Amino acid sequence: MTRLHPFTLLTIAGALPALAWVLPAPAGAAATAAVALVLTLTPGASPGLTGIGSSPGWRPGLVVLRAALLTAAPFWVFLLLLHDVPTTIAIGLRITTMVASFVWLVAALEPARLVEAMVAAGWSASVAYLFAATLTAVPMLKARAQRIAEAQRCRGLSPRGGIASRLRALRALALPLVLSALHEVDERALALETRGLRPGIRRTTLAPPHDPVVERAARWVLLLACPAALVWRLL
Amino acid sequence: MKSLTLEHASFWYPATEAPALRDVSLEVAQGEIVALVGALGAGASTLLLVAADLAPRVTGGRLTGAVARRDRSGIVLPTPWTQASGMAFTVWDEVAFGPANLGWPAHEIARQVDRALEQLELVPLASRDPATLSGGELQRVIIAAILAMDPGLLLFDEPATELDAAGAQMVWRLMRRLAGEGKAILLATSALDAVPDVADRVVWLEDGAVRAVGAPDLLADVAVCEAGLGTSVATVWRASGLPGPYPPTVAHAVRRWR
Repeated sequence: MTRLHPFTLLTIAGALPALAWVLPAPAGAAATAAVALVLTLTPGASPGLTGIGSSPGWRPGLVVLRAALLTAAPFWVFLLLLHDVPTTIAIGLRITTMVASFVWLVAALEPARLVEAMVAAGWSASVAYLFAATLTAVPMLKARAQRIAEAQRCRGLSPRGGIASRLRALRALALPLVLSALHEVDERALALETRGLRPGIRRTTLAPPHDPVVERAARWVLLLACPAALVWRLL
Repeated sequence: MKSLTLEHASFWYPATEAPALRDVSLEVAQGEIVALVGALGAGASTLLLVAADLAPRVTGGRLTGAVARRDRSGIVLPTPWTQASGMAFTVWDEVAFGPANLGWPAHEIARQVDRALEQLELVPLASRDPATLSGGELQRVIIAAILAMDPGLLLFDEPATELDAAGAQMVWRLMRRLAGEGKAILLATSALDAVPDVADRVVWLEDGAVRAVGAPDLLADVAVCEAGLGTSVATVWRASGLPGPYPPTVAHAVRRWR
């Protein structure tokens, strides 16, 4: 899957949630959720997502699926509190599709290939970098959060126990996480300038990803399927 | 020929009243290495940011005075992990990130990257994932990444902090080689013992202003030693109560001793 052209991966990750909301629930949403969850089982997930904080109880091939399920689970709980069961299932499956598609995309899409593909397609290098950096933010923040949590644990702050102690631990994690992320934004802006990444540059593409005709056609089919499904629903 | 000229440059960071640089005038010629020394907060890093045209353009703030750069500059920041692109699978790709942004032809990028990897003795690591490197290895990768962009003016902010002794020695030797090739180098460092062998001139900064400029022997000056900025040899010589002038290096001390 990771060898697919980055635009193909983006199209799949974008089309699945769109179809999930357009197609009738629960069947349509169940189908898209199933496809998205199956995608998380495909090999080649990036170490950025799977290598950090992976539970030893989960086989490597299931780590992305686990991340998707754990992210989607709270939405199901809140939906169940607010709605009846059929509505919960309908919206929950759609949200699961969105979450699983995004988690799979983060795992499968290599940011460097995306930058190369976007620059080869005529996008500005700084816009391409910004777009790709957004996708790397999730694993980077996860790794940083884990380092902070370990540091806090070394100082005796336990994330276990009652709600009060868990909230204290959360505050001790969230504050340095946000502040350090904000601080790093400044440093990275300086660093990227020093590496020549400025608005308006014409970057040389060193290894633009191969974009076969079949994939280009498949992307168009997926893109056209979304408005087609919408028209079908409206009629 | 001057690569960098600052004339009465003062700089204020955003929302601060006290300037981080005060009325600094400085020239760095091609083929020259100028070392900036000073206590923490003396303004050395800020001076490098101004020289690199990052302050105030990227940092914000206000600059007065004149700054003239004849050559394109490249700066090595003290935190290599933030200077990595995060968009490379291999060390080779990481080093090529900057040259690719300059829009050079692919063959020229490859030539510069290979050369920079050789200069930093990184060829064996060329296919390694940058995320798996040690701090010292990543520091060398970032230095190579800046060198691969072939800047005429090189700015180093504490380039040896992540390096072991051998790695630091390699970087100091490389700097002398680069200066020999005509590069202008401005170096901010707290590795004072290395300065006499590396730098042609030393600028002592205090509270953002230039306190003194001189030959590397300046690091054996009484006032500099009293400020805690003398070399180890000069500091020991002074602490021993031996008469001045203090020797800046072991070689100087040996000559004095005989």
